[in-house]
Amino acid sequence: MTFDLNLTLSDLLLMLPELWVTVWICVVLCVDFLMPRMSQRAIAGLSVAGMGVALGFLLWYYIEGTNGVLFKGMFVLDRLALFFKILVVGVSLLVLLSSIDYVSRFSFFKSEYYFLVMMAALGMMFMSSANDLLSVFITVEFSTFGFYVLVAYLRDDLRSSEAGLKFFILGVFAAALLAYGTSLVYGETGTFIFPTIAQGMAHMTPGLVVGWLMIFAALGFKIGTVPLHSWIPDTYQGAPTPITAFLSIAPKGAAFAILLRMFFSTLAAFKPQWVWLMIGVAMLSMLYGNIVAIAQRNIKRLLAYSGIAQIGNILIGMAAGTRMGADAVLFYLLTYLFANLGAFAVVIAFSQTTNSDEIEDYSGLNRRSPFLAFAMLVFLLSLAGVPPLAGFIGKLYLFVAAIKEGLYTLIVVGLISIVISLYYYLVVVKKMYISEPADPTPIKVSGVLQSVIYVGLAGTLILGIYPRPFIEYTVAATTIFSHLGAVPVVTTLP
Amino acid sequence: MVPIGAYVAVSAILFVTGLVGVLVRRNFIIVLMCVEIMLNGANLNLVAFAHHLDSLAGQIMSLFVIAIAAGEAAVGLAIIIVVFRGKIATNVDQINLLKW
Repeated sequence: MTFDLNLTLSDLLLMLPELWVTVWICVVLCVDFLMPRMSQRAIAGLSVAGMGVALGFLLWYYIEGTNGVLFKGMFVLDRLALFFKILVVGVSLLVLLSSIDYVSRFSFFKSEYYFLVMMAALGMMFMSSANDLLSVFITVEFSTFGFYVLVAYLRDDLRSSEAGLKFFILGVFAAALLAYGTSLVYGETGTFIFPTIAQGMAHMTPGLVVGWLMIFAALGFKIGTVPLHSWIPDTYQGAPTPITAFLSIAPKGAAFAILLRMFFSTLAAFKPQWVWLMIGVAMLSMLYGNIVAIAQRNIKRLLAYSGIAQIGNILIGMAAGTRMGADAVLFYLLTYLFANLGAFAVVIAFSQTTNSDEIEDYSGLNRRSPFLAFAMLVFLLSLAGVPPLAGFIGKLYLFVAAIKEGLYTLIVVGLISIVISLYYYLVVVKKMYISEPADPTPIKVSGVLQSVIYVGLAGTLILGIYPRPFIEYTVAATTIFSHLGAVPVVTTLP
Repeated sequence: MVPIGAYVAVSAILFVTGLVGVLVRRNFIIVLMCVEIMLNGANLNLVAFAHHLDSLAGQIMSLFVIAIAAGEAAVGLAIIIVVFRGKIATNVDQINLLKW
């Protein structure tokens, strides 16, 4: 057994974006410590600049097609990893921007907030590259630690602490499942590295089945599917709203990177066994999320339940199990990113003035701020999947991928759940446009939040009207799954 | 020499003990302790398999599991203290501001 890592400086360049973010996190923390008089806005600006540079690195790598493997296969850099890293860093940039006004109301620990957001983002960047059960465990916990603290950040607000506590209990429970599942898979195959595990599994033994089920359950906690979804509504409602927005996209995206590598590469030979698991979880998530969402009176809880249903939709692509399915998962995550982040930005802007998240208070929003009402309308319709918005193309792509595999029951359940979701989204729209406002004072939206909402609007409209370049972008990211069949779209990236 | 099956059985007993504790007990601190028991079950498995398979990877992972368990305890106790300050309760049933 040798311990020679054969690490050269050029290998470390593969980790350049992560190393940069690590250094920058330390810089931000030191600046805050050494210059206590510096304003919160300056720290936020520093953080945004650092993440912007990281995004630049990642886009450059994506165009170059940089790829490679580090630490004996524990850390892999390919276009799939880069896609999710760009997603995570992009989301964290928008979250940092929409936090600025929110954080200025805190009475304590203003700059540590930015530090923790970047820490969680760093964990999720590593998660996107994890290609080994050990690095899956460490990176999942790394990113979740930041979120535990961020969710419970408003220490004077009991709801925030309670949300943190509920998130924490289920989070550590999932961590224990992940560790135990990993130990079982290791016992059967003698290794942690995904490609080597695939070679070591001739057939499914009981130990392997239990182990993989536990690992799937733990990742199901991260993405919030039905068996381990119970933290989502409470955590979303109690957490600071920018963190809710962050939590609703970034960790789910990064967990899908792991799930795709796990099911589409390592367990690809066992598709007939796991496809039923995916179908069941997808159906339950879609129906449960959409039906319970009808009863909600709080907009954050409504978006939480709709989020459970959206993840069910994404699992349709996982159930398809083809390269087109993987592609649809990636594309749907993009459409979900813009619509969901935009919707939460509207919620932040609304609660800044009115201090309320109740759907009842959204009555007559069109009179108070036509911009916010229109933006919310676009985001909700995109989440429901109404053409010509992004969500429509995303859902269509997922359904086509599933139809090609003959999963008709799943499609029927998906269509029913879309109809249900249209109902509760339109209830909010009706409140905004038809009901009379109780208090007709106009709502002011700050410039930074406005720009975040514009990004969401632009993304939702462009992905809906001209999706081709983005589909090419996702097709380039799924080249590692080319053993699972072709995609009917020609790629132009080198 | 103790056969590998014995280690796996003990670790499964530890894991199930912790699992039942998490599901049944209502006190946060005991829930946290039960999660630690589950993690230790995983650790025992990892070390036993590492010895059995003559590979170091499992022992290395168990070190990481221990480190992460320590981090979890630190963050978790901090959150419990915040909740306790606001509301004198450490029982799951009494924390019920957020529902439906």
